[in-house]
Amino acid sequence: MTISKLLVANRGEIAARVLRTAKARGLATAVLRHVAEQEGPAHLIADEVVMIDGPTPVAAYLDIPQIVEAAKGIGADAVHPGYGFLSENAGFVAALEKAGVTFVGPTSEVIDLMGDKVRARAFVEERGFPVAPSAIEDDDPASFVERARAVGYPLLIKPSAGGGGKGMRVVREDSTLETEIETARREGERYFGDGRLFVERYIERPRHIEVQVMGDGQGNVVHFWERECSIQRRFQKIIEETPSPALTPEQRDEICETAVGIARAVKYRGAGTVEFIYAQDGAFYFLEMNTRLQVEHPVTEMVTGFDLVAEQLRVAAGDGLSAVQADIPQTGHSIELRICAEDATADFRPAIGNILLLDEPQGEGIRVDSGILDGGKVTTDFDPMLSKLIVHGPDRAQAIARARSAVQSYVILGVTTNTGYLDAILAHPDFASGDVSTGFLAEQSETLTAPGEDVSDLLMAAAALSDERLVSDVMQIPEMYRKMGGWRN
Amino acid sequence: MRRIESQIDTNAADYKANFAAMSERLKEFHARQHAARFERPQRDIDRLARQNKLGVRERLKLLLDPGTPFLEFSTLAACREYDGVVPGAGVVTGIGIVQGREVAIHANDASVKGGAWYPHTVKKVVRLLDVALENRLPVIHICDSAGGFLPLQHGVFPDRYLGGRVFRNQVKLSQANIPQIAVVGGHCTAGGAYVPTLSDYNIIIEGTGAIFLGGPPLVKAATGEEVGVQELGGAVMHTSVSGTGDYRAATEQHAFSLAREIVSQWMRTPKTIIETAAFEEPYYDPKELYGIIPKDRKTQFDMREVLARIVDGSRFHEYQPDYGTTMVCGFAHIWGYKVGILANNGVLFNDSSLKAAHFMQLCNQNRTPLVFFQNITGYMVGREYEERGIAKDGAKMLMAQGGSVVPKFTVIANASYGAGNYGMCGRAWDARTLFMWPQAEIGVMGADQAANTMADVKIRQLQREGKELTEEEIAAIREPVLEKYKRDVEAYTSTSELWDDGILDPADTRNALGMSISASLNAPIDDPHYGIFRL
Amino acid sequence: MQRIFQIDGEETDCWLGHDGSRFVLNTPTGAVACQLDPTGLPGGYKLRAKGVVRELRLAVGPEATFVHTDGRTYEVGRVDPAERLAGSDGGASDDRLVAPMPGVVVSVAVKPGDAVEEGQPLLVIESMKLETTLTAPRDGVVAEMPFAEGDSFGLKDILAQLAPEEE
Repeated sequence: MTISKLLVANRGEIAARVLRTAKARGLATAVLRHVAEQEGPAHLIADEVVMIDGPTPVAAYLDIPQIVEAAKGIGADAVHPGYGFLSENAGFVAALEKAGVTFVGPTSEVIDLMGDKVRARAFVEERGFPVAPSAIEDDDPASFVERARAVGYPLLIKPSAGGGGKGMRVVREDSTLETEIETARREGERYFGDGRLFVERYIERPRHIEVQVMGDGQGNVVHFWERECSIQRRFQKIIEETPSPALTPEQRDEICETAVGIARAVKYRGAGTVEFIYAQDGAFYFLEMNTRLQVEHPVTEMVTGFDLVAEQLRVAAGDGLSAVQADIPQTGHSIELRICAEDATADFRPAIGNILLLDEPQGEGIRVDSGILDGGKVTTDFDPMLSKLIVHGPDRAQAIARARSAVQSYVILGVTTNTGYLDAILAHPDFASGDVSTGFLAEQSETLTAPGEDVSDLLMAAAALSDERLVSDVMQIPEMYRKMGGWRN
Repeated sequence: MRRIESQIDTNAADYKANFAAMSERLKEFHARQHAARFERPQRDIDRLARQNKLGVRERLKLLLDPGTPFLEFSTLAACREYDGVVPGAGVVTGIGIVQGREVAIHANDASVKGGAWYPHTVKKVVRLLDVALENRLPVIHICDSAGGFLPLQHGVFPDRYLGGRVFRNQVKLSQANIPQIAVVGGHCTAGGAYVPTLSDYNIIIEGTGAIFLGGPPLVKAATGEEVGVQELGGAVMHTSVSGTGDYRAATEQHAFSLAREIVSQWMRTPKTIIETAAFEEPYYDPKELYGIIPKDRKTQFDMREVLARIVDGSRFHEYQPDYGTTMVCGFAHIWGYKVGILANNGVLFNDSSLKAAHFMQLCNQNRTPLVFFQNITGYMVGREYEERGIAKDGAKMLMAQGGSVVPKFTVIANASYGAGNYGMCGRAWDARTLFMWPQAEIGVMGADQAANTMADVKIRQLQREGKELTEEEIAAIREPVLEKYKRDVEAYTSTSELWDDGILDPADTRNALGMSISASLNAPIDDPHYGIFRL
Repeated sequence: MQRIFQIDGEETDCWLGHDGSRFVLNTPTGAVACQLDPTGLPGGYKLRAKGVVRELRLAVGPEATFVHTDGRTYEVGRVDPAERLAGSDGGASDDRLVAPMPGVVVSVAVKPGDAVEEGQPLLVIESMKLETTLTAPRDGVVAEMPFAEGDSFGLKDILAQLAPEEE
């Protein structure tokens, strides 16, 4: 099973990133583009661009028959789903299989299993891996409230079908448990069309640590070490790093081996990520497994030197893993910053605009995976993430310093971005000492969005002097009158 | 061009005494000016606020380019009339900058008697429109007037240079392709209705602006029709029904913003080219003028010291420095503009008159505007001078001056007596602008001389009747005449009567001249031509 | 010469002057002499103001200027006060649609009681061989539609009337 032509069923920075590796491996490449979508870097890299249409741009990228048709139409023998969209959609995998097109990723069964939080958790727990104390409604709906109470407070209610933090509710007192359950159920129904719930012990000040794994589908699995993704706003990661400053070498080995064990248990194929909640006391619990390439995979690539997309393509082509565990190093420290079009001072409201000037940072240990072009337009059709800035340094302090310098010199003008906010996080002493949890951004929101030095006079001067109409109006005033100023006799 | 070497010792006692005296005069002048501009009875201020109208100064601020000068004319007009209750004659006029262009501004001051037209109001407006015509300056009228002041209608309405002249000048401006905008920020009733309607563009402020030939009370009296201000002549009616109004403005801010936008639509016509140089501030501080102008008006002073504090770099190219020395002639730059300057250093003799006549012809030939600095007591009298033909030499000077085609500007720096006023381009001689310094005097002759002359007539008459008069009796006749005459020749009388375009702080002279010269170059300069010189 | 600048939702009225040798930005709190020179980088400038020289990157959008300096990015909204005022003309719009000339009603799109939005078609008329769609002058509720399809109307007849606006 060789792959000669790859369709990337995605867009933005990830499409560009996948295409680069595919091209470097000599594959013919194609990428999707919605008819109303701005041209992005991916469209310039791909050999072919397939136009898709749909009621909304996002809907087009979720339109399985249309994309399968596209793949067949251009003679692609493999599809890389990127992340998001159809990357964890078992139906898509099945449709591609039916069409005889290779899906670069795991089997539909594994996707199905891991996509169902409740089943995935049960599966993991049954095999002796750590999971947080919990109660699953489906096990016995009648006793759900009782069992939830038994988990102990604080506890977290989650929709079974959920993800991305939607519909999650923390309960600290028994008196509110039942009303919160009802609220969570309504939210689950609204967001996911599925009101089933489960509860688990809520970990105070948890950290989010995940492990990159890669399997050949035959039961061979290696890990590419961990990533820490505790810097989250509204349950969305925005800064990720590896190694995690929280782990001792022993804990690191333990958590990575646990992840490998879980992946091995499902004979995992391709790239996956096992996510854990890490408690302040050092305990960690399985959270979920993402059966795809993660947004933050580049930090792993920076410290290991492996190209994870190349590994995915190898496995998909049946060539197996390129390395054994001992060959996978963890060198130096890497940090990724997600550059998003959003206003950190206004509750991360997505921003739109035209990119009037784009100048990406360059230099040693700096990588930019970008989904935008100078002159492009940022709309709310898609996710607000514009690009990722990834840095590598010999140690964490130097990586932070490099990340700060790079993000400070990242020029994106025309649309509000979070670069200043990201820099404020990097500058925070708690971040420097590694003393963070997933609640860090919420706890520190005032510090992090505090206005800096008041430079408004300078900004207004710059805005005035670069306003050609204003300057020309002023210069139309004869020089004598300008010199006299507001003289009155 | 050589710098004038000043001989002034700023530490000298007389300099300091002069400085103190002038400072005192200026304090009074500035106080009077401030009062004329801003001090109003509370009820008038309240009325404007009630009517939701801005004051005229606030309106100007909205209209003019920020950070640019405004050359205001005759701020103290009517200061010696109507018991002083019509400051500025109820109207603000001047030259200002809108969208980088020089415009003449005529703005009613509704805080003065509701902006009613007094005789001096009309005189001031007609003068402004004359300035606009002579210099081809677009005019912006800010209309907010109660109409003619009826008790004085004979001084407002019938004569050649009264009310009708305002509208006649508007017609002439339009005919000469000089645009006008009227911003109607109050009522324009009867004749007043023609200011906006004769303007090329007009803007009516909704709610406060209205135009009608007869207001609601007059309509009711005439025809019995009952109609409100807005229906009769409001912004909505005029801009949508009658077409009398062009633009309807929601607010004062909007109205002046519209006016500015209209100005920026106009074609920029190139100005008349004259010789210019890069700007240079005077080398000597203009404030030193205060110490140079003698506190006693009869004390002679060197006009070159005055020029050194007004012209660019204090540089002066003197013409015929050793001939006719009571008449200082020469070239200089003011705000970069090359000008020919005529300044009095004494009475006019035959030689000084001939020198002036010749110099003015040089300037006309060279398209160099003329600036007159008057300190003149007259042409020399006496048998010797008559025999030398002082009258015909004076006539030559008048012929050259009056026949000049270049723009002329006059500063009455000290004395302006008799025919000297004529030779040195007094009011009757079409100076584009004419300003007075606060201590200056204007009259047929000096006060003592005049009082003596008038007293003598009376005394001789009494003597013919056989009356012998004691010294005291003679003084009793002479003193009141002298007092009245002294008051009549004062700058405040002149400016009250609009014989000038305003009193200037001497230190402001340079800017006032710069603006006047610049404005004058909107009009073309004809080729030189003269009448007959009596040789 | 005048601009309203908006930074972080705060508006500042300013005007720019030039005294022959340098620009001066006049803000409500004072005058700032300033100079902006290109550095050669795309959008790169050196700003001299308040005694300091700052390197910045700058892009001028239609309504805002974006400035990147010292590692931070700022957005400075620009409003020409004249343009803002231009939107204020006329004050409250009329409640009535008055026939601009005599004609015939082609079709009527709304009935009394209907809520309409500004710009929403109310009826189509034909006059002088031209069909014209008359639209709602403001958001509101239709009070009267005096003419039906096919009716003739005269000059200045009221074709539609909105209910008065509630204060």
